[in-house]
Amino acid sequence: MSPTDTLEELRKHGILPAEQVNQLADYEQKKPFSVHWELRALLYVGILLLSAGLGFLIYDNIDQLGRGALLAAMGAGCLASLVFAWRFRPDWTLEHARSRSSFGDYALLLACLLFLTLEGYAQYAYTLFGTRYGLVTLLPALLFLPLAYRFDHRGVLGMALTSLVAWVGVTVRPLELYVKTNFFDQRTVFSAILLALLLIGIALTLEQRRIKAHFTYTYLTIAGNLLMIALLGGLFNFESLRLGFVLGLFAACFLLDRYGRRRSKDHGGSFLFLLMSAVYGYIGLTYLFFHYLHPVKWGDGLYYWYFILTGIALVVYLMSQLPKAKPTHESV
Amino acid sequence: MKAYNETWIYNREIVRQADNWCRRNLLTNEQMDTIQRTYPVGFQQTNGYLEIGLFLFTTVTILGTYLLVSTFFPALVDTQASSSVFNLVFGALVAGLGWILIQQRHLYHNGIDNAFVITQTGFLAFGLNQLFPPGLSVATHCLISLPLLLMMLWYYGDTLITFFTVIVTYAMVFDWLLDIDGGRPAVPFVMMGISAVLYVLARQTNRRLSRTPYYADCISLTQWCALLGLAASGNYFIAREVNRLLLKPIPAESPELSLAFLFWVFTFCIPGAYLQIGLARRNRMLIILGGLGLVGAVMTLHHYLRWVSLNVALIVGGLLLISLSIAIIQYLRQPRRGFTDAPDDDSPDEFFLSPDTLAAAQTVTGIQHGHNDNVKLGGGNFGGGGASGNY
Repeated sequence: MSPTDTLEELRKHGILPAEQVNQLADYEQKKPFSVHWELRALLYVGILLLSAGLGFLIYDNIDQLGRGALLAAMGAGCLASLVFAWRFRPDWTLEHARSRSSFGDYALLLACLLFLTLEGYAQYAYTLFGTRYGLVTLLPALLFLPLAYRFDHRGVLGMALTSLVAWVGVTVRPLELYVKTNFFDQRTVFSAILLALLLIGIALTLEQRRIKAHFTYTYLTIAGNLLMIALLGGLFNFESLRLGFVLGLFAACFLLDRYGRRRSKDHGGSFLFLLMSAVYGYIGLTYLFFHYLHPVKWGDGLYYWYFILTGIALVVYLMSQLPKAKPTHESV
Repeated sequence: MKAYNETWIYNREIVRQADNWCRRNLLTNEQMDTIQRTYPVGFQQTNGYLEIGLFLFTTVTILGTYLLVSTFFPALVDTQASSSVFNLVFGALVAGLGWILIQQRHLYHNGIDNAFVITQTGFLAFGLNQLFPPGLSVATHCLISLPLLLMMLWYYGDTLITFFTVIVTYAMVFDWLLDIDGGRPAVPFVMMGISAVLYVLARQTNRRLSRTPYYADCISLTQWCALLGLAASGNYFIAREVNRLLLKPIPAESPELSLAFLFWVFTFCIPGAYLQIGLARRNRMLIILGGLGLVGAVMTLHHYLRWVSLNVALIVGGLLLISLSIAIIQYLRQPRRGFTDAPDDDSPDEFFLSPDTLAAAQTVTGIQHGHNDNVKLGGGNFGGGGASGNY
């Protein structure tokens, strides 16, 4: 339906006077076409290609290119991007702030990506950090975290948190849980849980004190997923401690769900946490059901009742959580 | 009579557009209230994340029921005939239950109704195909399923069903071509033809149904697929590699195409034309597909000519894209040639609040409300924009 159709309809019903209809039609016809997101996407893809290309370049030509020259060139690029971002840095505030240049955020992103490539290369070529691989992942985290706060950049915050998680030795990717799992190791599981709880605690405290409260969502998405995957990993793998993990998982589901519901009322958009709680909780419950009750032996596929009943229960629950008032614009 | 309340869908679109104007303070809050009262929307509200969960768990429930019944009564799926009847009946029951839920709960793209539509179409298509003797070609199966899909598309206006319909159409023609003599070399041309036909059909439907938004998303998706199909079928890399995969035995090296020059022309000219037409007509779909297509064309060129190594290509490409976007962003600081770098309709910003339009709206509303000089145009609803959303 074109705006013209809508305007005609509103005019016919006498809601808008003819003159205003003409003004609006004129506005619709003359308003410039926005290519804002297309251009940002182009810039972003360009930055990714450039840093990937540089990454390949140094590893491919490690013998031909002068190591020092290459490192210097990349360091200069990294520094130049950072200086550019600093020149247009937003004023320091505890609220949400924007860079004073359209390119400030992207320059910072490029600087951080170049730093990662640089650091990886320095470790590869000079074994700068020796065998202390933990340090290789901790360094970007320690560097990016303050940068994210100073420049108010959620992308860099995400990178910092991911490095922190990598430092603990896991990657937060639910699909890779089976393929590349580290969760057979109790120490990894417990440190992942501790890190997740620590991050969640920090995020909630900062939110309460109104220090960059808009960062909470990034914190909770990453730390929440880490916590749930670690709890599931523990639940699957450690028979003797299972009860603890079960209680932990369901407590986490309950709290995440409550937080999501409370926030969705206040902020109109934290349904992601509700979904996370439902899906992770369901996986844990299904595992326990099949592991302990052995329903396959009941015969005649009676265990299908489990899927039917739990499915209905979750549908009814999620239905009851659908927003009642104005539609929210939460994007997926 | 269709699955969803058409009046509500119509009203929803009116309210959506009016809301955009209201956010730009081109309508007063009173006018917006009147519009919301005049055009009520009774659908259950929805949210992207909850939709995913609802779709997932509804599908689990329906599949669980299907498996339970078929395990409980193994005779139902014993022979192809009985299995076919069972699938058709089960599909019809799912459709019936879905219909009741949609009517009673006022569902519209909430995840639940989508799951019902997809699973019922699956069961019905499965049952329908089982009615025919085994050993039919893929093209025949597609031909059998197509009327069902089109019916579902007409009734529900569902985007996933639209996607399946388009895919089944392409698969049918593709498989049919491979079965006939001299079909293989014609594959790219026929696929391009089919894409063009699909696009024209979608455009015509759009014109005919311009006053009802029931199929708006389906039409748009069909156009995306058709344009993508047209550019992909004409792409040199795709034509050459698909041709290699269709040869028996499959050669290790893909042989040169006999009309190579023509395909090179298609590779660059089709996306180029998209971009040009898109820029001329302010068509976002054509601009995006044109841009992506040109990147694909350059990658095709790189794949066969290898003027530079991959990493150099990436660096040069990255630098090129960065400089291009920076140059355009700088150029569009002020709106030029009808384009702007200011964010979309969905995000509130001061840019569109040009003093001229505001003054005009104020005059007009002043007339309408007569004595009410206190109508505050600055008090519009700025809260609902996407800019404050989550990334």
